Amino acid sequence: MVEASDWELVQKCQAGDMSAFEELVSRYQQKVFMVILGLLRNREDALEVAQETFFRAYRKIKSFQGGSSFYTWLYRIAVNIAIDAQRRQKRNPLDFRESMDGVMEERNEFAKDPFADVHDKELRVKLVQSINDLTPEHRAVIVLRTLEGLSYKDIGALLGCSEGTVMSRLHYARKKLQEKLRAFL
Amino acid sequence: MKPAIKVLLFNFFLWSAALSLDAADKSFQSVQITIKTVAAGKQDREFDARLAPLEKQLKALNYRSYRLLKEETQTARWQGNANFEIPGGRVLTVRPQEVTNNQLSLRVQLKQGDKPQLETTVRMNNGGNFILGGPPHEGGVLVLSISATAR
Amino acid sequence: MNTCGEIRESIGAWLDGELSGAGADAVRLHLETCLVCGEERRQLENLNRAMKDVFESEDFRLDAEPFWHGLRQRIAAKRPWHADLAEWAGPFIRAPSFAWAVPAVIVLLIGALYFGSILPGWGVLAPRNNFATVESIDAYGRNVALLREHESKTTVIWLYQNPDNENEGAGETSDKGPAF
Repeated sequence: MVEASDWELVQKCQAGDMSAFEELVSRYQQKVFMVILGLLRNREDALEVAQETFFRAYRKIKSFQGGSSFYTWLYRIAVNIAIDAQRRQKRNPLDFRESMDGVMEERNEFAKDPFADVHDKELRVKLVQSINDLTPEHRAVIVLRTLEGLSYKDIGALLGCSEGTVMSRLHYARKKLQEKLRAFL
Repeated sequence: MKPAIKVLLFNFFLWSAALSLDAADKSFQSVQITIKTVAAGKQDREFDARLAPLEKQLKALNYRSYRLLKEETQTARWQGNANFEIPGGRVLTVRPQEVTNNQLSLRVQLKQGDKPQLETTVRMNNGGNFILGGPPHEGGVLVLSISATAR
Repeated sequence: MNTCGEIRESIGAWLDGELSGAGADAVRLHLETCLVCGEERRQLENLNRAMKDVFESEDFRLDAEPFWHGLRQRIAAKRPWHADLAEWAGPFIRAPSFAWAVPAVIVLLIGALYFGSILPGWGVLAPRNNFATVESIDAYGRNVALLREHESKTTVIWLYQNPDNENEGAGETSDKGPAF
């Protein structure tokens, strides 16, 4: 059976077919959640924003005319809500962050290549910390580029800035990360 | 609905509201004039409860008793006269002249019989009042509160 | 000829496939010969890989079933009116631009001015007192006093008897002086 295109699902959904919307959610929930979590750093907030994204998409789906891909439209909603949430976010981020203590305890555990393992874990912890330290604008370009592999043009369209700005933000963000992680790279 | 369209609608709505208010200013058709005739005296201390809205204004005058004799409201067109009978064979004629910047201009004439006693032009807030007093009445004086509201 | 500094600024975009033509060639050729910039490229590739690993880790996984269940419940639930209003009005409230504020302020100002004209005393620029201005007055030879009473902010016109000419004005005006 040929899989229905996004646009076909959107049209069914516009006609009131809930199962079509469920299919769209199933296609994009993971990606949307990953991008939002990358932006917000807090799992609970990210879940809330992801749900709000699909909820708003459902409510506005009748206004979607197919001018862009559903995927781009959805991401635009997600990024807008996430950026709003970032401004409001006061909680200390990153409940998924592993503690450095945990990494150190694992030094004593037997592993095939314990040093490589610890190195990776340390890098991971440092990396997450460093990404968190970026400004929301820089974190947004890093997440959209790394996670989704979006082009600079698409990122610019999502964030409302030029390709040149995206390039410059990416350069700056990577430079910052590189400086902090030089010992691990 | 796109946000830009919403904002345009929002601005359109606000401008429409403002313009309709503008139109309201220019469409004052007439003026409602109210005269409260009060007898003020220096004998017993008495204050008519119906005069409560004017209490502060009346008590600035040097009398002890204030009694509402008559309250009359008439509607006059611009440049049209509204005539009010005042005790003692007097007539008060009020002629609304214009409204600008929410200020009404009134021509006011007080006559006793054929004899004019006072003629004045007063500019006052739309909805405001002023006091005209002094004509004698039963051992005291008459105090007139003249208020006007353009509508 | 591009310097190492210029090339390093472009390595990220080159790795992302965002450079084309001469720009891409310049970076590629430079990297073939420059060890320092080659090291920069290696670090950036490692950084990109590490970031991808982090973002694709279990921490970023979403439990699909409860997510859909929660979403479906939310869609089915009746929303309070203020939530609809907040969603509709959101763009006005959040728009971080003076473009919205300026016309709104102008309109509110105009509105306030004209509001005052239909509801006396309510306009922001409406006078705060009740004083009237006497532009002309003729008491036909009688005495007249004008008072601006400041406590009640009222203008009083008072006719009174002329003490030097009692006979002429008898019965028409009252006391020998104004009552205030």
